[in-house]
Amino acid sequence: MARILGIDLGTTNSLIATMHGAHPRVIPDPKTRQGLLPSVVALTPEGEVFVGDEAIRMEPHLTVARDGRVATVDFPGGGEGAVIRSVKRYMGRGGADLAAEDRSRYTFTDVSGPVVRFKVGAREYTPPQISAEILKALKRRAEEALGDKVEQVVITVPAYFNDGQRQATKDAGLLAGLQVERLVNEPTAASLAYGLQKMASGRVAVYDFGGGTFDISILNVKDGVFEVLATNGDTHLGGDDIDRALVEFTLAGQPDPVRNDRHIWNTVRLVAEDAKKILSFQEGVALELKLLEGKLDRTIDRVDLERLAEPFVRRTIECCQRALKDAGLTPAEIDATVLVGGSTRMPLVRRRVQEFFGREPLCTLDPDQVVALGAAVQASILMGTQGDMLLLDVVPLSLGIETIGGVVERLVFRNTTIPTSVTEMFTTAVDNQTHVDIHVLQGERELAKDCRSLARFKLGPLEPKPAGVPRIAVTFLIDANGILNVMAADEETGRGHMVDVKPSYGLTDEEIERMLEEAIDHGDEDIAERLLITARNAAEQIIAAGRKQLHDYARLVEPGERAEIEALMARVDAARHGTDREQIENLVEELNQLTTPFAERIMDGAIKLALEKKTVEELS
Amino acid sequence: MVQCPSCARLSEPRLVCPQCGGPLAAETDGFAALGLSRKLVIDPAALERAYHDLSRRIHPDRFASSPPKVRDASLRATALLTRSYRTLRDPVSRGIYWLELNGEKLNQHNNRVPPELAELVFEVQEQLAGLRAARSDGAAQSGELAAGIAERRGELARLIDEPLGELHRNFERWDAGGDGGRAPLVGELKAILSRIAYLRTLMRDVDRELEDAKAA
Repeated sequence: MARILGIDLGTTNSLIATMHGAHPRVIPDPKTRQGLLPSVVALTPEGEVFVGDEAIRMEPHLTVARDGRVATVDFPGGGEGAVIRSVKRYMGRGGADLAAEDRSRYTFTDVSGPVVRFKVGAREYTPPQISAEILKALKRRAEEALGDKVEQVVITVPAYFNDGQRQATKDAGLLAGLQVERLVNEPTAASLAYGLQKMASGRVAVYDFGGGTFDISILNVKDGVFEVLATNGDTHLGGDDIDRALVEFTLAGQPDPVRNDRHIWNTVRLVAEDAKKILSFQEGVALELKLLEGKLDRTIDRVDLERLAEPFVRRTIECCQRALKDAGLTPAEIDATVLVGGSTRMPLVRRRVQEFFGREPLCTLDPDQVVALGAAVQASILMGTQGDMLLLDVVPLSLGIETIGGVVERLVFRNTTIPTSVTEMFTTAVDNQTHVDIHVLQGERELAKDCRSLARFKLGPLEPKPAGVPRIAVTFLIDANGILNVMAADEETGRGHMVDVKPSYGLTDEEIERMLEEAIDHGDEDIAERLLITARNAAEQIIAAGRKQLHDYARLVEPGERAEIEALMARVDAARHGTDREQIENLVEELNQLTTPFAERIMDGAIKLALEKKTVEELS
Repeated sequence: MVQCPSCARLSEPRLVCPQCGGPLAAETDGFAALGLSRKLVIDPAALERAYHDLSRRIHPDRFASSPPKVRDASLRATALLTRSYRTLRDPVSRGIYWLELNGEKLNQHNNRVPPELAELVFEVQEQLAGLRAARSDGAAQSGELAAGIAERRGELARLIDEPLGELHRNFERWDAGGDGGRAPLVGELKAILSRIAYLRTLMRDVDRELEDAKAA
């Protein structure tokens, strides 16, 4: 079976990992040696895309020149482009979910539809498309490192992601030209990484506090089976929120033009993020920031940071309480607590987790890497190379259908092990009804209006019959990715029914299809393009080197040889202006062979020359 | 008989093909799914072992590169296995399910209050109504009312735990062959299960109300 890789598509950073023998390893960028790829994407109005550090540098910010003067740096090429951070927060979200703060940061084209759309010049991008760019960058990185195509992956998602958010992640994979073999929950992935090392067993609580999301999962780890008992969380709670509070705190007391300036805000955000990290091992930090006019001097103590972070940390502990209650356990019954996610580096977080569970949490594995490592382990389980290890995860939210009066009837309760299925019988309410409409919801509240709409289904067309006569068995199946599939069959005839699915959030199949036509062809083109560029560069180099040698070592060229070499060089040169990569590569190889004798003579000459030189030097 | 999507041979309905060990999408009852006889008393550790063992053999993770038909069978078989495990693990849902298999449907949605619980149920409903009213008026004492209900929750939890011992004894007597005839045992079983099921529904209402109060 082909190699499957593990990807942690994070709010702040993303990583790709694979197994090296028995151990999972993060694949670093071949050039920078960095394992973490910042999940930041810059988009130009011309449709160019930049990911990671490159994108961060394109964010409007302040810079201090060598002469000490402060200047603003805008998006290259006139500020029409966009630099998008934390795109994960927008996955599976509709226009109506946007907060005022989102709208002040980015420009959106459609603020009422089922998918958020970022506007960049005349173009628009959905969150799955932007996430796909991050995935493509990771794919390229892995392909360069492994020297092989990467097509199959496991991608991690927050355990508390709903159906729409999961679907959006799968869509992003598709758009990146990847086959998503499995979506695996982040805390569960982390438990696999720890479990593989036999570092955590029994009843394990995984506390995963990342850049944008929080998850708590309670597992029973026994004989290689990782069974999730309960999960809870908040998909909009993370280190981002603490950074934002810290920026507000830093800019407090400044006049409005300063506080609302994009350049200043972005610069302070970067500084605040650094300050937060420093305060994890230092009691205080002095910020000094030159502004266009005047400067900003502030000292931030750990006490300040903890006061700002406390409300967010309290919310995570409330999630822990709910998860334990659902698992039917008390904190004392937990055998091990594992810390995952960058935000767990904060001493406050560690203290609160320790207080709550009454034991010191484990953080042996790098909290930034452990999810990606676990994804690689899950990938090896799918490849069948991980022995008896098996993951049994749960669905985080209850699933139900809307009934009379807008009340939700629950079909699948939260924390049910997946895959799971439920079959419900439906019938018609009036004579000769040809369709039955079903509204599926996710959430814990009693009324449909308080739950998250998942999808609407239309059953039919049905044969006209008196009301109540048709009996249609509808099976709601939640697969191992936590995504709902619906099947319907007529009980009488056993014939399958068409189920016309209209997801309430996210892209329709047609939209994905259209984007795929653009993106996947594009993806293959990308690889072809890269290989072509490599071939062209090789051709250019060999021509330049050849010309130089013909000139420098003219005395070593044999009669007739020059004309032959020059003729072939002209053909290589012509080919490198074309697009036929194979032709370029073949001609380069031919030229290589043709010039080998000449090159050997040069080498011989060079050695002789060196020897002669040496003798002269020795003599003198 | 079901046909195995892996080896195409026919076998009795079960989740694992006895010929090739592949997954079978068969419709079996929960006891058969887990390879257990229809006994009411189940050793939780043995049940968990059976569940883990079967999961290892039929879970979709094991068939990621198999043909679609096998993957589909694995998905369905695992869904059935999981559902069966959940049902059998809890003695109350196990009892109710067992009655159903024996053609004795317990009306889970019955609204008839067991007489000995009438007073308690009335009080809890009053409290819940009070909390709802206070919340819709935005009254300040809703927090206090919620605290009172949370206290009441503990009392309900004890009342649910109490009859579990009685339930277990009933299970044992039934498995042993039912001295004094099976009909009275079924009646007794139904009475205990109704009582617990009723209290659990009440408890769920309480929990939901408390969660709503917190969320609001």
